[in-house]
Amino acid sequence: MLKLAIYGKGGIGKSTTTGNLAAAFASLGKKVIQIGCDPKADSTINLLGGNPVRPVMDYLREFDEEPEEIDQIAKEGFGGVLCIETGGPTPGLGCAGRGIITTFSLLEDLELFETYQPDVVLYDVLGDVVCGGFAAPIREGYANEILIVTSGEKMALYAANNIKTAVENFEDRGYATVKGIILNRRNVENEREKVETFAKESNLEIIADIPRSDEIIRYEDQGMTVIEGDPELSISKTYIDLAKRLLEEE
Amino acid sequence: MKQTVGLTSTYSSDEFGICSALYELGGMVVMHDASGCNSTYTTHDEPRWYEMDSLIFISAISEMEAVMGDDDKLIRDIIETAERLQPAFIAIVGAPIPYMIGTDLEAIAMIVEAETGIPSFGFPANGMQNYTIGISMALETLTKRFCTEKLPKTERMSVNVLGATPLDFSLNGSIDSIRKWLLEQQMDFNSCFAMGSSLEEIREASKAHVNLVISYGGLKAAKRLEERFGIPYVIGVPFGKSYADQLAWEVHEAVRTKQSRIAFKKVQRKAKKQFVMIGEIVFCTSLATAVELEYPDIDIRVLTPLDTANELLRDGDKRAGEEDDLMRYLNDADGVIADPLYRPLCRQTTFYSMPHIAFSGRIYEKEIPDLINRKLKYREETLC
Repeated sequence: MLKLAIYGKGGIGKSTTTGNLAAAFASLGKKVIQIGCDPKADSTINLLGGNPVRPVMDYLREFDEEPEEIDQIAKEGFGGVLCIETGGPTPGLGCAGRGIITTFSLLEDLELFETYQPDVVLYDVLGDVVCGGFAAPIREGYANEILIVTSGEKMALYAANNIKTAVENFEDRGYATVKGIILNRRNVENEREKVETFAKESNLEIIADIPRSDEIIRYEDQGMTVIEGDPELSISKTYIDLAKRLLEEE
Repeated sequence: MKQTVGLTSTYSSDEFGICSALYELGGMVVMHDASGCNSTYTTHDEPRWYEMDSLIFISAISEMEAVMGDDDKLIRDIIETAERLQPAFIAIVGAPIPYMIGTDLEAIAMIVEAETGIPSFGFPANGMQNYTIGISMALETLTKRFCTEKLPKTERMSVNVLGATPLDFSLNGSIDSIRKWLLEQQMDFNSCFAMGSSLEEIREASKAHVNLVISYGGLKAAKRLEERFGIPYVIGVPFGKSYADQLAWEVHEAVRTKQSRIAFKKVQRKAKKQFVMIGEIVFCTSLATAVELEYPDIDIRVLTPLDTANELLRDGDKRAGEEDDLMRYLNDADGVIADPLYRPLCRQTTFYSMPHIAFSGRIYEKEIPDLINRKLKYREETLC
């Protein structure tokens, strides 16, 4: 089972990348689960035609008890991708990081992987490893590898470096390791060079170079990924190539 | 009202269940918690505290350590202490603070084990779950880490007893009585998880022919031993005379058929008196069956505020987690058998005292009867 966690600066395009990657795996015939680990709960929306799944934290808040079936907190989207969102507490209250851990133990109790038997699991994680909860997706038993999404912008690279450092701090704990960098272009000057410099200093590889694309925005406005919108587009093929590579190197 | 306790007490927590289950095995148990509230364990929930040494520690996590997520201090303290004391294992037990800040106790245990070479495990307890979950985690982990080798069976039929802690059975001699009862039934006592047995005896659990599960906390360990070594299990406590005889037959049958079984069934009849019993599911359903067998005029409904599996509930038995749920059943009962701290819930009903350490601590410790393999009597508001 390929289990990947996608990290990167807020607003850098993690959810877009994760959603398209999930759709790409599904288009290759793989059984996929995507778990959004962000209180905003918008990771999977483009796999669901714009009709979001009820986040786990919302369920717990509403019913004051744990769900008994996966169906109560999951929804199948494009290509059969099973979409789950952790969600978070009421904004300004509680602990979002703890919400992620609680969701993960709940999914374990519901035997998600045993019953659904996915080929690929994608964890789309909020911005940065800000506390214990946001490191949960890379703990033993969850993601095996991490993909860092960055552009050539200074703050995106700064965040990428923070994530890499946090992961290095966990090396004696058996956590996931960084697989590589996904360059999600913002049309910054000398963008490739800037990210290459960071990659070289960090001893990491740029495993995908995603061009800035109006097609992504156009299809997102319609509540879908580009893979669903038009799999023949060059941008769609970029995601499919990345999915193929990740499967080959599993 | 949900999750509100206004008139009664609360059960011991998962943290204390773990401590209790591991108390006698020569390990070092570290509760990763602020100092203070944990003395509830030593002063109320652990009757062995003043008579038997055990390496139970509190990390005394501070506010800043919690805010900063400073795991290093905990790791250093554990390693330093373990190197000095050389325990048989190290158990790092969670509590509300590490739970809220998401401390990865399993990862910390991995680092400690790599550094010390001593088997170490982290338990994701949070102090908010009840003790049966803690016992269950602890005993299952013991089987995973220490019962790894398939050993030749003992010559005579032998039994592991799973799920024994003073939280359910006190120190009133019940576990010794179970040992004697097994001997009377031509069965040897192979090991007990975990009272009165050493870690070495527990390591040799696979020698036994059958496991006897005497509390819900022992069930996961039994399932693991069945999966790993094909040892069947029987769930039940040999209370009373008739039920103890019936349970002995069930144990022999489990060995003969190699099939696990739950050895308490509702005695079907129209009894004159409708009683209610409150407590731990295996203890109560066994005792209820024993009373029903010996007193045909009594029918007992078991209510458990603790964790259970559906298959352990007999006809009419219920989960009842809240005071309000319990009261719904108590008012119409002819008698209630429960810990004395439940008495305020049943003012108009005849109350039969059955103290439970996990609920009332040591307050009524001396009044807890050993009901193993003996004719049951109920009189003057006590069961004896």
